[in-house]
Amino acid sequence: MRMNLLSRRRLLQSGSALLAMVAMPALPRAKEKASGGRLIVAADSEPKNLNPAIVASNGVFFIASKVIEPLAEAAFNGEGGLARRLATSWEGSEDGLSVTFKLREGVKWHDGRAFTSADVAYSAMNVWKPLQNLGRIVFANLEAVDTPDANTAVFRFSRPTPLQLIRNALPVVSSVIPKHVFDGTDIASNPANTKLIGTGPFRFAEYKPGEFYRLTRNEDYWGKGEPKLDEIIFRVLPDRAGAASALEAEEIHLAAFSAVPLSDLDRISKVPGIEVISKGYEALTYQLVVEINHRRKELADLKVRQAIAHAINKKFVIDTIFLGHATASTGPVPKSASEFYDPDVTTYPFDTAKANALLDEAGYAKGSNGVRFSLKLRPAPYFNETKQFGYYLRQALAAIGIDATLVNADAAAHQKAVYTDHDFDLAVGPPVFRGDPAISTTILVQSGIPAGVPFSNQGGYENKALDALVAKASETIDAEARTEIYRQFQKIVTADLPLINVAEWGFITVARNTVLNVADNPRWAVSNWADTALRS
Amino acid sequence: MTLLRQTIGTGEGAIGAAILSLLILIAVFASVLCPGDPLNIAGPPLTPPFTQGSLPLGTDSLGRDLLAGVVHGTRTSLSVGLAAAAAAMAFGVCIGLAAGFSGGIVDEALMRLVDAFQIVPGFLLALAFVSVAGSSAHVIVIAIALGAWAGPARLMRAQVLSIREREYVAAARVIGAGPAEIVFKEILPNALPPVLSLSAIIVAAAILTESALSFLGLSDPNVVTWGSMMSEGRNVLRSATWLSIFPGLALLTTVIGIYLLGEGVTKAIGRGRPGS
Repeated sequence: MRMNLLSRRRLLQSGSALLAMVAMPALPRAKEKASGGRLIVAADSEPKNLNPAIVASNGVFFIASKVIEPLAEAAFNGEGGLARRLATSWEGSEDGLSVTFKLREGVKWHDGRAFTSADVAYSAMNVWKPLQNLGRIVFANLEAVDTPDANTAVFRFSRPTPLQLIRNALPVVSSVIPKHVFDGTDIASNPANTKLIGTGPFRFAEYKPGEFYRLTRNEDYWGKGEPKLDEIIFRVLPDRAGAASALEAEEIHLAAFSAVPLSDLDRISKVPGIEVISKGYEALTYQLVVEINHRRKELADLKVRQAIAHAINKKFVIDTIFLGHATASTGPVPKSASEFYDPDVTTYPFDTAKANALLDEAGYAKGSNGVRFSLKLRPAPYFNETKQFGYYLRQALAAIGIDATLVNADAAAHQKAVYTDHDFDLAVGPPVFRGDPAISTTILVQSGIPAGVPFSNQGGYENKALDALVAKASETIDAEARTEIYRQFQKIVTADLPLINVAEWGFITVARNTVLNVADNPRWAVSNWADTALRS
Repeated sequence: MTLLRQTIGTGEGAIGAAILSLLILIAVFASVLCPGDPLNIAGPPLTPPFTQGSLPLGTDSLGRDLLAGVVHGTRTSLSVGLAAAAAAMAFGVCIGLAAGFSGGIVDEALMRLVDAFQIVPGFLLALAFVSVAGSSAHVIVIAIALGAWAGPARLMRAQVLSIREREYVAAARVIGAGPAEIVFKEILPNALPPVLSLSAIIVAAAILTESALSFLGLSDPNVVTWGSMMSEGRNVLRSATWLSIFPGLALLTTVIGIYLLGEGVTKAIGRGRPGS
């Protein structure tokens, strides 16, 4: 109780400090331009390591993507779904053993040094491949990066690597960091991991733990007439109800990643001056998944897994838990990934009677108390929706005679229990689909992954045919053929149910209507915001 | 028994006892009043209160019956609160008794231990303990008791120190009573009443701590608690206030009831011993 009071007081203090900053007279420079101004955004987490080249996660990108840029960004209308950033073109060789990037000329780091292909080579070989959570997979076969001149980088692979995968992965895995800052130091503990130096439209100015991050305009940005804002402030507001009131009080301009709870959207959309925007997350699809521990003999039985799939009422999940802001899943690839999505898979309509029949067939008859067997269910604590789905799933399982005991834990304890100790029977997880199944989706069902790798198959599932398919796709250069393999992949996963895909969702941005150019690309919240502006 | 009669004789005691016995009845007969699992989805989500006969208090954001939650939550809150207070009292009384009666180095050591526990805020202690040991019911009881036993221990020791010098204790010693006989027959019965009046405060604090822990998501998710109901209601505080109000009112009533009863006990003890 006392803790609560204290944090509220601190919040008020930091709030009034920020208000004072807003009230300060605008810089004279800003008055001369048509654009400018200070955008204040709600941030709900403060990542320990803010370097997107090492930690490719949305929490880091949200802040760091304005400072450190990737080679290419996702786009609604770009060629191949990409917009050029630090690379201006990319071309794969016939044999799939090399990809050549032409780099943008005249780009400067925030400390004044010139950006060259040496920076790209250094980032790829020393950071993306050995250190980055996703780069490890995408660049697993990267052997060397040649730099014939300052604006050309040639990635050489030891085994054929599909250009389709590299292209789809570029926005997420290719954040370039300066070689002259990191070379010869311990990369993991370099101070530039928190005080970022990049090429992006904004410079990293200041971070006050528990209060705010401040980014200022980069005068030397390569984009003509960009950025439009003078400053971005990420105000730390971990309390979700706080973000909504701060928006209404005009203390912040924008809250992304559903910082305003879904249940509050209906009300806040009616407040004048506030807009609710569901676009801008198309390439950041989260999937609601029931992870299964196949070491449990009951769950190793396909009929039991089918019964569980039939017991889940996806319509209820979408309408009641996500309040309509989600789509029912058919398989491991979301509908939003139209390049790969295959609707022609085994589906499991909600049917309690059929689920009960399947369990009877499998030989797990109801006991005298109506219970067939008991399970331990661990819902991931990251989202309100995953926790609520945990409550729902417990009731849905009770309806088919499976007694599930919920176990709640904080994020760290949950990850250790599920992905290291395998101390679960069922878990509810929110994996992310990142534009290509090979980046973070196949790992959910592949076998042979060591214990401790988060968001991977730790349920002991093993399917040789599926493993072979994934291996084949990783070396198939032809985009058409590779896409076909992933259609097969979806059919096998939905038929054999190594996990159960329930729903997929993007997030919601709530912004004051003075913020312009919101959600103009499919990764908007984690893109560079060079064209974002404030209407005066 | 006389103490109980005297307690009810005071106005506060009567009201407190009435509220508490009603709550205990609700807790005992929860499964009769609202049969079935209170976590079951019983109707459309966010049904407002007093609109449907079968769901008098409405439903929460998943469609669970709010009345069933409040009724079954009474059971959780009272049982955890009473168990934690009983554990804290039992442990505290034993430590205080041992310290006061032995004196010397044992007293010093035990009292420094009490100091160590008293300087750590009880809620933080409980929070840390539950985060490490997991959130099952008995862990929560121990966690709350950990932060609450130091008070009764200190009071008990003070009582023992004063009583052991009284003439009737000296007389017992002269007769040849052993230390155990003296402690349990002479000292404990006379030292206990003031410590008992402290118990009401401890029960109330334990119930509040339990609610705070479950508000922070550290309770057993398989049972309903008022704290977890309020925590979930907080997300929709602006659009569905009733989700937080009903469990909040239940918590308020319980704590007031226990405080009033405690007040009554204190008064009754004061009356029973004129001049002391």
